[in-house]
Amino acid sequence: MTKDMNNTDIQIAICGSAGDGTIASGDIMKRAAALMGYNVIAFDLYPPEIRGFGKCISRIRISSEQTYSLKRESDIFISLNDNHAIPHVGEVRDYGAVVFEDSLIARVPEGRHISAHIKPAQVPYAFSIRQISEQATNSARSRNIVVLGFIAGLYDMPARVFHRVIAAKFATKPQIVIDDNTKAFDAGMRAGGAVFKLDDVAVGKPRDYSNGSDAVMMTGNEAIVRGFLEAGIGSYFGYPITPATSIMERLAVEIPRRGGQFLQTEDEIAAIAATIGAAYAGSRAATATSGPGLALMSEMLGLGVMAEVPLVVVVSQRGGPSTGLPTKTEQSDLNLAVYGGSGDARRIVLAPTNVEGCYRCAGMAFEIAETYQTPVILLIDLYLSNRYETVIPSEENTFAPKPRLRPEIAKGDIYKRFELTYNHISPRALPGEEGLMHTITGLEHNEQGRPNDAIHSVMSIKRHEKLNSATRFPGLTVCKRFGDEGPVDVGILGWGSTFGEILETMFEAQAEGIRCSAMKVVMLSPLPMDEIVAFFDDCREILVPELNYEGQFANLISGAVGRPVTRLSHVTGSPMVIAEILAEVRRLAGSATPKQKALGS
Amino acid sequence: MTAPLHHVIIGSGSAGYGAAMTLRGEDADCMITMVTIDALPFYNRYDLPGVFRGHHDWRKLLAVPPARYDELGIKLRRSSRVVDVDGERQTISLAHQEDVAYDRLLVCAGGRSYLAENLIDSVGLMHGFGSFEAAMRVYRALPKGGTAIIIGGDMIGIDLALTLLDTGYRVVLIANQQTFWPHVVEPVERKRLLKALENKGMTIFADERPVGVLDTRNKKFSRAVALESGTEITGDVVMSFCGLSSSVEFMLGAGVDIERGILVNPELRTTNETIWAAGDICQIWHDKEKIYKFYHGWKNVRVMGELAARNMSGSHEIFDVEVEDRLDIDDDGNLRSTFWTR
Repeated sequence: MTKDMNNTDIQIAICGSAGDGTIASGDIMKRAAALMGYNVIAFDLYPPEIRGFGKCISRIRISSEQTYSLKRESDIFISLNDNHAIPHVGEVRDYGAVVFEDSLIARVPEGRHISAHIKPAQVPYAFSIRQISEQATNSARSRNIVVLGFIAGLYDMPARVFHRVIAAKFATKPQIVIDDNTKAFDAGMRAGGAVFKLDDVAVGKPRDYSNGSDAVMMTGNEAIVRGFLEAGIGSYFGYPITPATSIMERLAVEIPRRGGQFLQTEDEIAAIAATIGAAYAGSRAATATSGPGLALMSEMLGLGVMAEVPLVVVVSQRGGPSTGLPTKTEQSDLNLAVYGGSGDARRIVLAPTNVEGCYRCAGMAFEIAETYQTPVILLIDLYLSNRYETVIPSEENTFAPKPRLRPEIAKGDIYKRFELTYNHISPRALPGEEGLMHTITGLEHNEQGRPNDAIHSVMSIKRHEKLNSATRFPGLTVCKRFGDEGPVDVGILGWGSTFGEILETMFEAQAEGIRCSAMKVVMLSPLPMDEIVAFFDDCREILVPELNYEGQFANLISGAVGRPVTRLSHVTGSPMVIAEILAEVRRLAGSATPKQKALGS
Repeated sequence: MTAPLHHVIIGSGSAGYGAAMTLRGEDADCMITMVTIDALPFYNRYDLPGVFRGHHDWRKLLAVPPARYDELGIKLRRSSRVVDVDGERQTISLAHQEDVAYDRLLVCAGGRSYLAENLIDSVGLMHGFGSFEAAMRVYRALPKGGTAIIIGGDMIGIDLALTLLDTGYRVVLIANQQTFWPHVVEPVERKRLLKALENKGMTIFADERPVGVLDTRNKKFSRAVALESGTEITGDVVMSFCGLSSSVEFMLGAGVDIERGILVNPELRTTNETIWAAGDICQIWHDKEKIYKFYHGWKNVRVMGELAARNMSGSHEIFDVEVEDRLDIDDDGNLRSTFWTR
């Protein structure tokens, strides 16, 4: 990275109505930024309607440094639809830019133009977006591209990168579509270049982009697909559900190419049943769903636990219960993921906190599942499923399947599929292997797999205890502490997508002089208790922010450690708000007694 | 209980800002909306030459921190152009297709820089200096030690010219009748003042008439001004400072009397009972002289804004300010103007 990139850390928000091309323009902006060599985090909010007049917002954070979440406030805000944009004008920081249309074709009621809502410290940029689009392309449909050009012109971004991204985005369309969008971009860029820049948004020059960037930009779902493919996924069975569908869509293309099995089943129950079957047969098998789908799958998940079948289930949470908020994010399926289903069905639950984590967890999930012969749930949420981040993938594939060792049995011995061993993990044979015939069943069973309820106690111990060492699985980050070492005033404990906001909050709190640490817990089941207890020991106050009403993670942790925590729930369907966490951190830090402060503990 | 009055102010310059602050002082409950085409909150335009002294952060030019508008409940609508005023319906129409209703309207949209007719075709080759953005564009266009050609030289232009000389630039002044505007200077005095400027280092072309501006980018200087005498003056930027003409086009349908500016009585009320005007846009009835007069200069403008605001709030004060018309430039080039000196 060149020195002049050092100060770049801006967030652009584009707000419009469904059909305005809001998400498309955000997509072009983030891909262009990634191509220029910036780190990118981006997240789109869109309405549940497939097509209509709902609100769409694309937020893109562009930074020369590593960042962990979207910023509290945007630096640049573009309105393609004032009705939707007006409630969000307040999210723009002082001396940031607000870009909007100044030549509407229909009258607006008094006070419903965005200019009535721009704060005195924000910098307005009004220009004729529609007119420029029409002049460039004979159509107003390119307004979303005109505004991109305006931003590129205003902040002196290289046109050719955008041209390249536009050409790639519309590569499957007729050439005229690429040409028109390029013209619209250029016209917007001329308009932006002619405007005197009054805001204080600093965009450093990107590094030499001529050879492209090493970084790849992907969503959490795309990262999971990549991890699965590198890990040699052989079978996928699924039923579409927001926000997990894109995993299935991508694998529908990729798995058959690799000679694997892909099937869209009639429902989630069939999906997990088929996944269990494929996994039992030795294929690396997975399915993906959301909370309502997991609810349907929970009975079959119990079969996976009982029959000790290694499968992977991706659960991308959305607002619930029931159909809930299908296009909004939430972290309210933790209980279902960790405890859901009948009986004592302990399973491994991994909750990556960022896109790279999705890639790594997905890459390792099959190996973990096979090692412990149990279902592994990858628990993410819509915010992480759809969030774009730049990731630099490792050059070599570290997730490739290791050769499976065929169970060795002495001549004349009977193969025991569920043999009781020192580590509670039994040698696994695949069906059809000579001399290793066995039974599996959802009924409680003995070592050979034959139904037997007298052994329930022993087998329950086996199924639970075998997972204990999962918290020390080689190469897997099950939890990690950040920030100040040693005793601190406030420790923030987080999981999943929320941890990015937690980490950014921690940095802000530290900058304010608050002694603060943060810990992410990736493995939610079994919990890495040693590290968590040590963290509790170091923190005078523990804050647990999460996107559910009940404080499901807080309950899990507090119950496991036996100590109280402070809960911070946020259930708006939107990602966690840094300002809310920071306010709570400040409150908790300020509650130290004078003696505690004097002692620094 | 009656609804609070909605006062709308068109313009966010010295008069508009002074009026808004006064209105809030007079009535804590009224609604105040300032509508302006400018992108920035109020700052003192007379400080703009400061860009050549390194004052490039517009935030430091602001009269009050932006948050003050919110604190005072003054809605500031920027980048909004008024295209029409309907005095009967009591609404203003904005270019972006929005009508804003008012109970009382104050028009103080100021004026635009006057440009001689024969130079209108050259406008694209000249720089303005009427806003922070324009001032910064001049600053960026003028190379270190470069030459600025000033046509006319009203008080804004003279102030800028002296700053440019002070900061190492060259200035060529093509003087005309508007030089020293809004002061009215006798010929003898004018000669003395021009001499003082010349002594300060300014190159003066007195009584020469510019006929066009030329793009000479490929030569040593990027601009040239052609004079009627056939002489060409070369420089880096060309600016016209020939006084102001009122911006009244949007008021043509308002049902108020307009001459060169909006005509107001000494209480600054127009012929429409709900509309007042203040600042460079209005001509005030002068009872002794029996004419409508402009009163330029920031002191007058500010006084007008505040007075109009008090009258909008129910007073009946008369504008009877008679600012002495006195201008002097001493041997050191220091400017003293009763209209201008800060």
